[in-house]
Amino acid sequence: MKKIESLYVIDDDKIYHFLFKNLLKQNGIDVNTTFFCNGSDAIEHIKENKENDNSPDLILLDVNMPIMDGWQFLEEYSKVLPLLNKQSVIYMISSSNNEVDINKAKCYEGVVKDYYLKPICKEDLDKIFIL
Amino acid sequence: MEFFDMPDIHDGESLNDFYKKLLNQVPDLIFKLVWRPSNFYSVAFVSERVSEIFELSVDQFIGETEIFFEERLFPEDKDGFTITLEIARKKLTSWHYEFRVNLPEQGIKWMRVSAKPELHPNGSVHFYGRVSDVTEQKEYEKKLQVSEERFKHALQAASDGIWDWDMCKNTVYFSAPSMKILGLEEEETIIPLDFWRNRMHPDDILLHENARKAYFEGDAPSFECIYRVLNENGKYRWVLSRGKVVSYDDNGESTRAIGTHKDITDIKEKEIQLANTINIIGSQNNKLSNFAHIVSHNLRSHAGNLKMLIDIFKGAEEEEKEEMLTQLEAISDGLYVTIIHLKELVDIQFEVKIVKEKLNLRHYLKNILNILHNEIKKHGVNIEINIPIDATVNYNPAYLESVLLNFTTNAIKYSSPDRQPMISYDFEMIDGQKALSITDNGLGLDIKKHKNSLFGMYKTFHKNQNARGIGLFITKNQVEAMGGRIEVYSEVNKGTMFKIFFNEED
Repeated sequence: MKKIESLYVIDDDKIYHFLFKNLLKQNGIDVNTTFFCNGSDAIEHIKENKENDNSPDLILLDVNMPIMDGWQFLEEYSKVLPLLNKQSVIYMISSSNNEVDINKAKCYEGVVKDYYLKPICKEDLDKIFIL
Repeated sequence: MEFFDMPDIHDGESLNDFYKKLLNQVPDLIFKLVWRPSNFYSVAFVSERVSEIFELSVDQFIGETEIFFEERLFPEDKDGFTITLEIARKKLTSWHYEFRVNLPEQGIKWMRVSAKPELHPNGSVHFYGRVSDVTEQKEYEKKLQVSEERFKHALQAASDGIWDWDMCKNTVYFSAPSMKILGLEEEETIIPLDFWRNRMHPDDILLHENARKAYFEGDAPSFECIYRVLNENGKYRWVLSRGKVVSYDDNGESTRAIGTHKDITDIKEKEIQLANTINIIGSQNNKLSNFAHIVSHNLRSHAGNLKMLIDIFKGAEEEEKEEMLTQLEAISDGLYVTIIHLKELVDIQFEVKIVKEKLNLRHYLKNILNILHNEIKKHGVNIEINIPIDATVNYNPAYLESVLLNFTTNAIKYSSPDRQPMISYDFEMIDGQKALSITDNGLGLDIKKHKNSLFGMYKTFHKNQNARGIGLFITKNQVEAMGGRIEVYSEVNKGTMFKIFFNEED
């Protein structure tokens, strides 16, 4: 079992950033976490760091975000993937329980591992972090 | 002048016998009736057929004519019989009369008498004539009449008209109900085909042509088409026309077609009404479903945060709790704002009656620009207004303000730092619909990329501090609630044009 060392959280909700950080801490999950407010910032970051093998082990991705939403991020990510040294494990984590979104996530099989509905709890973390 | 040459009789037969035999070959009863000035009728001659026709012997008929009157002729037809005979005698015109007889053997029979009177110098009148059995003919006539009446009444009850197209002369027979559809006098007519065709709704002509083609080319078993015709009152009536070719010439070309017209305006209007209702319900349903998703998503995100906060609050260190309370406040604020936005949306979408007033567009725009005076000045925005002074729109005042405010603040918000911002307001009529274009020279956006999400809730496309996204969403809802729509044209780093179509049809 490979340990997760780096994590990107892509979500436009700043409060969620704070809460998630604390949730990790309370559960004793020690991981190098970077927060992004939208897909665009995250994809730029991934592109910039592709040379130094710095892609994250895990990406937690929101659906509804300004500028570049979760779906657009996945499109962009699929484009840059061949240039990356490794593929990140991606979970979608959203407040949207719209079936359209949940079914759409299934279309990204091989890229998106699962779809979690907010709020995220300890049990969810256990599943996500025991790869 | 002689009618006949003397017949050539070789076998000693008398001339009298010869004519007698000949006469007896005639199925009709032949007679001669004489009236004398003493006002007395007598039968001078009757052929042998009288035994068949009236079941009387020649002698009986000649000698006891009263038997015919009393025992054969129908009492109801007696008066007519004598009156028409008298008239013919007095006027010396042909005598024609149809009457019934009741025969002991054959029962009731219809007879027709035809005779020609001749006035003699002594004042007497001689009738030469015949009586024929027309019972069969009468029965046919009666059957035909019944069938015609059935046909006529059925069509009347069905409010169907009949058309009968003479394709050689290009004229059409229209029955009375067909003319009624046009609001004309209810009388059958034969008129040129164009008389009807010229009244057809322009939008239906092609449809009608296609239906005809489909039938003539064998794609349809019969001609059938629903279209509108203009009636005398200037109103269109919906008509269902059906028909078939009934005769062809030697070359196989159609020469005659017959069919029916049915006025289905009432059904059609209800159908249209129903379709409209379904559309409205459908779009309401869509809105409702969208709204449910918005509510679910937006409230869920706050509720989710709240739950997570409480979970970690329980296990938090004392010094961390202070910051968590600050976050709690932020969640509460966010929730509050969301609920206000949702309430606003509910008001737009589910308000049954939104008051509309005739508003001067230029006047309202000036008011908005006054409100935004400081912003405009700060950014040095150049404003250009091309709206006629008397241009009005039938709109809800609050919505009009909101729409103008939103597009104007948007244009200022997304102005380009590289050039002096410019906003132009242009009023125009497009296909009879009033429209206002609001054009800026700002940052613009990639329409293709954002096409589906442009007016979505909480969508922003620029890294702008004030970008909240809710504005366009609400604006769009307001414009649509007024029966209008918005078109967007934009090019990155060139500018954006929002075209608002006002709809004032109701």
